Amino acid sequence: MDAKEADMSVLKVRVDVEKCIGAGHCVLRAPLIFDQREDGIVILLDGYPAKDLHAGAHKAADLCPSQAITIDETP
Amino acid sequence: MSPNDLAPPLRFPFRRADPLQPPSQYAQARATHPIVPVRLWNGRRAWLLTRYTDVRSVVTDARFSGEFANPDFPSVTEARVIVDQQERAFVGMDNPRHDHYRRMFTKEFSTRRMMALRPKMTAIANRLIDELTAQPQPADLVATLAVPFPALVMCDLVGSPYEDHAFIIECAAGRHGLLQTPAQAEQKGRELADYFMRLIRGKEQSPGDDLVSRVIEEHIRPGNLSREDFAEIGAMILRAGHDTTTNMIGLGTLILLNHPEQAAAVRNQPEVVPGAVEELLRYVSPVQFAPRRVATEDVTIGDVVIRKGEGVFALNPAANRDPEVFPDPDAFDVHRDASPHVAFGFGIHQCLGQILARMELQTVLPLLLQRLPNLRIAANEGEIRFKDDMQIYGVHNLPVAW
Repeated sequence: MDAKEADMSVLKVRVDVEKCIGAGHCVLRAPLIFDQREDGIVILLDGYPAKDLHAGAHKAADLCPSQAITIDETP
Repeated sequence: MSPNDLAPPLRFPFRRADPLQPPSQYAQARATHPIVPVRLWNGRRAWLLTRYTDVRSVVTDARFSGEFANPDFPSVTEARVIVDQQERAFVGMDNPRHDHYRRMFTKEFSTRRMMALRPKMTAIANRLIDELTAQPQPADLVATLAVPFPALVMCDLVGSPYEDHAFIIECAAGRHGLLQTPAQAEQKGRELADYFMRLIRGKEQSPGDDLVSRVIEEHIRPGNLSREDFAEIGAMILRAGHDTTTNMIGLGTLILLNHPEQAAAVRNQPEVVPGAVEELLRYVSPVQFAPRRVATEDVTIGDVVIRKGEGVFALNPAANRDPEVFPDPDAFDVHRDASPHVAFGFGIHQCLGQILARMELQTVLPLLLQRLPNLRIAANEGEIRFKDDMQIYGVHNLPVAW
């Protein structure tokens, strides 16, 4: 997908707190979309992040070791 | 011919021809049989994964178990078998037990908590660099900085006295060497768990602002976690926190100084530092014989059948040099996107302390280069001793001048 297409898309982020192991990549990569609860487990701050945050959302989903982040993208 | 028929399999682990590169057999295997059979110390067959995609998929595949207690679990030495059987921390457990225990500790290593430690880390690093520069030249960077920096950070976090760090390191090295007898490795494992038990008892009497005291309050007192289990988990945390970052600082400094233009970028451009640390992690991959798994049923991957009970080494160092993911993989380049690397593993067992390690490295490496702009290696040929005798790779010493 090139930058232009990404710009047009709507992106929905979902997290699975059962799968989360608190590795923390998501907070490091996309701190406007993700946070951690007191116990280290993921909190979704923004399920429909703005376009300039899409790259960070994808990065967080790819790096998540327990595959607790899912991204649905509709062009 | 299927790799299943390759005979005789190579003996694993391999020796490195170049101390700064993974064994050349990994790239050879990736080009011909990326899932390749090897023979272990006990004559048993195991499989090496050398491709990034295979490594990530196998360690997230429930048909492969990470239970260290499984009698078929693969190991690089006879001593490691005892160590694995002895392991009672969640590092050697499958789910659901793994997540149950790990979640009691994720809070302690959360990203924001680790980021908040940066000022304290900077102060520790500055003090150690002051002490380094007070020494005659050349000085050993491992003894003066690479060992004490993560030790001081860990002791502060966990609540163990700094004077004990040499003992902790001795226990880690004695348990994770390649040359120990099984009895020696077992002894060093027990000594550290016993040490941590004494630490727990002490903190029960006089708590402080530290991990041990908090876990006592939140998990021991309510009965969620036994002291015995905490002692095993605590020993694992101490070993991991002292050993791995030490090796990244030693070998990382050597690699940066071998690439002066890239060292200059790390010194002068703060925005380069996080990516440079990821590239160093990718390039060094100090945890060199992991992750390991055992097949719980016959699994076919491509033209290979991994039989139930056979071991698998999902090699981090090989995955991190896969040209499909990292073009020109043997080139060190702080400007590349190395972030997909699996130096901390992947799947549920990915390193608990990885954000801590990142913050430590992002703090100490640029500070060292800034404070000592003329830092250079001051070793004759062969004087740097690489850790060919250890399961966690690095340097035993690094003579430097400045």
